[in-house]
Order: sequence, then structure tokens, then C-alpha cells
Amino acid sequence: MNRTLRLSMYYLLAIVLVLLVWAATSWLLEATRGREILPTPWVTFAAAAANFGTLASAFGSSALRFLIALAVAFLLGLPLGLAVGFESKLDRYLSPLIYLLYPMPPVALLLFLYLAFGLGEVVRLVVVVMALFFQVVVAAQGAAKYVVPSHVTAVRSAGATRGQIYRHVVLPATLPSVLTAARVSVGLGITMLYIAETKLGLLLGPRAGLGRFIEYYTFRGDISLAGVVGLALLGLLFYAALELLERFFCRWKFVGARGGA
Amino acid sequence: MIEVDGLTLIYGRGGAAVPAVAGLSMKVDSYELVSVVGPSGCGKTTLLFALDGLLAPTAGRIRVHGEEVRSVRRDVALILQDAGLLPWKTVRANAELSLRIQGRKSSAGKVLADLGLAGFEKRFPSELSEGMKRRVGIARALALQPRVMLMDEPTANLDSITREHIQNLILGLWWEMGFTGVLVTHDMEEAVFLGKRILVLSARPARVVEVIDNPGMGEPGYRGTSEFVAQVAHLRQVLGGNGS
Repeated sequence: MNRTLRLSMYYLLAIVLVLLVWAATSWLLEATRGREILPTPWVTFAAAAANFGTLASAFGSSALRFLIALAVAFLLGLPLGLAVGFESKLDRYLSPLIYLLYPMPPVALLLFLYLAFGLGEVVRLVVVVMALFFQVVVAAQGAAKYVVPSHVTAVRSAGATRGQIYRHVVLPATLPSVLTAARVSVGLGITMLYIAETKLGLLLGPRAGLGRFIEYYTFRGDISLAGVVGLALLGLLFYAALELLERFFCRWKFVGARGGA
Repeated sequence: MIEVDGLTLIYGRGGAAVPAVAGLSMKVDSYELVSVVGPSGCGKTTLLFALDGLLAPTAGRIRVHGEEVRSVRRDVALILQDAGLLPWKTVRANAELSLRIQGRKSSAGKVLADLGLAGFEKRFPSELSEGMKRRVGIARALALQPRVMLMDEPTANLDSITREHIQNLILGLWWEMGFTGVLVTHDMEEAVFLGKRILVLSARPARVVEVIDNPGMGEPGYRGTSEFVAQVAHLRQVLGGNGS
């Protein structure tokens, strides 16, 4: 059986398993509590189909918001992380700063972010960017610190400029770790996206994002749950996309007897 | 021609300063291949990096073809220990790396083919044997068509058959291309096989303690001659008496 087909089979199997557990939980809750608490998968899918237009726009808005936040986090975090990790002087001065700021959850700053940026689109992006930015910075810094010295010597002995050292060595050497870290951070990012869209999206309609969609239909469990499924699919989409990027840009990691050692 | 005059290299500053090379002088004639041996950690690689312009001398001076070395020169190529291949670049991209960095458009295709690497251009280093990796490292240096070739233990950690293959290859290339070469090694047979002269360095900080002339080097079948065996024995004695 070819690889892609086998992989799709595994995914299909996982989906079936999730639906079974979901249905079982619904029944169990209904049997023990005497009323419907968690809508069953088919009720949820029926609700999704009935509100497909709204759900699709909410999904699109959230996906676009997440994509922009991820891109901004990369554009700002990658150069900073690589430079701090690779240049020992910057490492000395900036690492303590990064480690101090890194564990601080942007959620705790929502009030100040709101006061600073208002309730517009910017503040929602800022929250997600802040969460992802530090993940990218810390991953890039950690990887850049351990770039193999002989790889740097190889390009320096050819007369490489600082920029060429980054282009030929530091960036490609660290990309696998950075992309893996980004993939792991998708879960956190989606959580932040949900918070940004609910806490900082009070004035918006249900089409403005999945978070807003879920909250807007709080009293319609089936529709609301359809939004949650959308959020899960959104996470899966970005997770898979980042893995594809890694396979494309870091092809060398996936060949050879020792996996690119 | 390479001229080194009173070269001193000190790492770090103040109390943490470590002298790696102290007042070392040496000379390599044009088209001469010289091997450099010495106790491990004596500063051989440091010396090579300084010759390549990667390290600035603390004192003394290095001249290549009469010009003082202040930074990396385009006509000098360095072959690193373990080849220094970038795992994310294919064989061809690795072989052409130095060319591209110097903004040169030429291809390394012919060099790769000459070194028996045709058909492997699209492979990654992890897909190659150790011997092939070293040949790619050599191809990268040759692609620059250098006048000076600096080699840092090009056969370290190779099995004996592959090691002899690479040594024969280096000798053949030297005959063919006529570069000026400095080969750092800790293998005494390699030093004798590939050095027209053998410079013996002291323990750190490195100085030249003895220069052994090796006129038989490069003659066909040299490895099997009694002269070769005697030279290796002599070198072993010199190094043994030198606290290594």
C-alpha cells in the first residue's frame, strides 16, 4: 500500500475513534444526568450544515487571523532568536530579558492590551502574535546556540560575509527545530486566538471568528459545538501545513540511513 | 609560497589567555607539499586557520605569494577535518558552496566526476559513506582552483583502506595540479607519505622543533620501500622524544 494511502487510513481511523468516543460521552452524560448535555456528533454536524455559511466565514476569519499572526511572529521572532542565539554578545545582554518575558501569559495583560490598542483587529492579532513570538524566539535561540562550529568555519574559510553565514548555515541548521517548535505552539496559539476572539471581540458578529461564533451561540449547544470542531480543524490545518513546510524546506532531515545525522 | 615569521597566536585575554602558537616560523616553497605533525592539542589546527586568514596573528606575520594574509584569500582553499559538509545541502551544493559564496558562477560538476562522485550530485551527505564525504570536501576545495591547499587531518577517523585511497588521491591531485600544500595530520605514515618535508611541532604553544627532509616522497610505490619505513620510525622517535 502506498504511504499516502496508508497515512490517510490512519487519519480516517482516528476520526472514527474520536467520533465514537464523542458519541459515547454524549450518551453517557445524557443517561446519567437525564438531559442532553453534550450534543452528539450527528446533531452537531446537522447544526454545522444548517449554519454552514456563517461557520465557513468564521473559520475563514480565524484562519486568516492565525495565519497573519503566525507570519508576523516568524518575521519578528526568527531573526531576533537566531541573532541572540548565534551572537554571543547579544546572547549575554538579551537572553535574561527574553527569559523574563517568555513565561508571562499575554492573557494576563488583556486589560492593558485593550487600553493600549482598543477593541479593533490589531489587539486580537497582538495577543496571538505575543504568544507565538516568544515560542519562535526561544526555539530559534536555542537551536542557533548549538550550530556546529565546523559548518561556520566551512563558509568563513570561503570568505563568507555575516549575511552569508546566516543564509547558508544558521538559518538552515535551525529551521527544523524552529518549525517543530512552531508546530507544537499551534495548540497554544489556537487557545490564544479563542481568547482574543471572545474577550476582545465582544462587539463582533458570529462571522468574525470561530471564538466569537462559539460564544455567540452559547445557548445553542449544537451550533456552538460545531464551532469547537471548526477550531480543532483549524489547529489540525496549521499543524499539517507546518509539517509539510518542514518536509519541503528540511528535506535533508528525512533522507539517509541515520536521518540526516 | 607561504612564509611564516615569528607567528604567535593567543586565545582569550588576561588571566584566561591561552597561547596556542609561540614564535613559530616556517616556509613552504611554491608547489611544495609539507606535512605538519605534533602532539595532539599542540595548535596544529590553529596554525592552519591562521594560514587561511581565519585567525589574526597576535604577533608575527604570514605571507602567501609575498602578500601579507589579513583575511581569507580566494586562491587559498581549506579542507576541514571531517570534510565540514553542510548536511542540508546536496553533494553538488556542498561542492559549489565556496564558489557561490565568492560569487563565482562556475560548476563543480567536472571536479565531482573526476573524484568519482558522478551520479551522487543530488544526494545529501547523510546518504554517503565517510570516504565519499571526504571526497566531497576535497571537491569543494578543488572547485576553487586554488594555488594553496590547506588540509586539516583529511583522513582522520577513516578505515585504513579508505584512508590510503584518500592519501593516494591527494598525492595524485598534487602531482596533477601542482598546488602549494600544507597538510596537518597526527598520522605518522600519512606525514611521511604526503610531506616533501615534515615539520614537527612542540607541545602547546607550538613551535617548529624539527624539520625532516623526505626526498623519496611522491615516488611510485614509496609506501612499500624501506626508506619509507625508516622515515616513519625516525618520525616516531622524534615525536616520542618530544613528550607526546
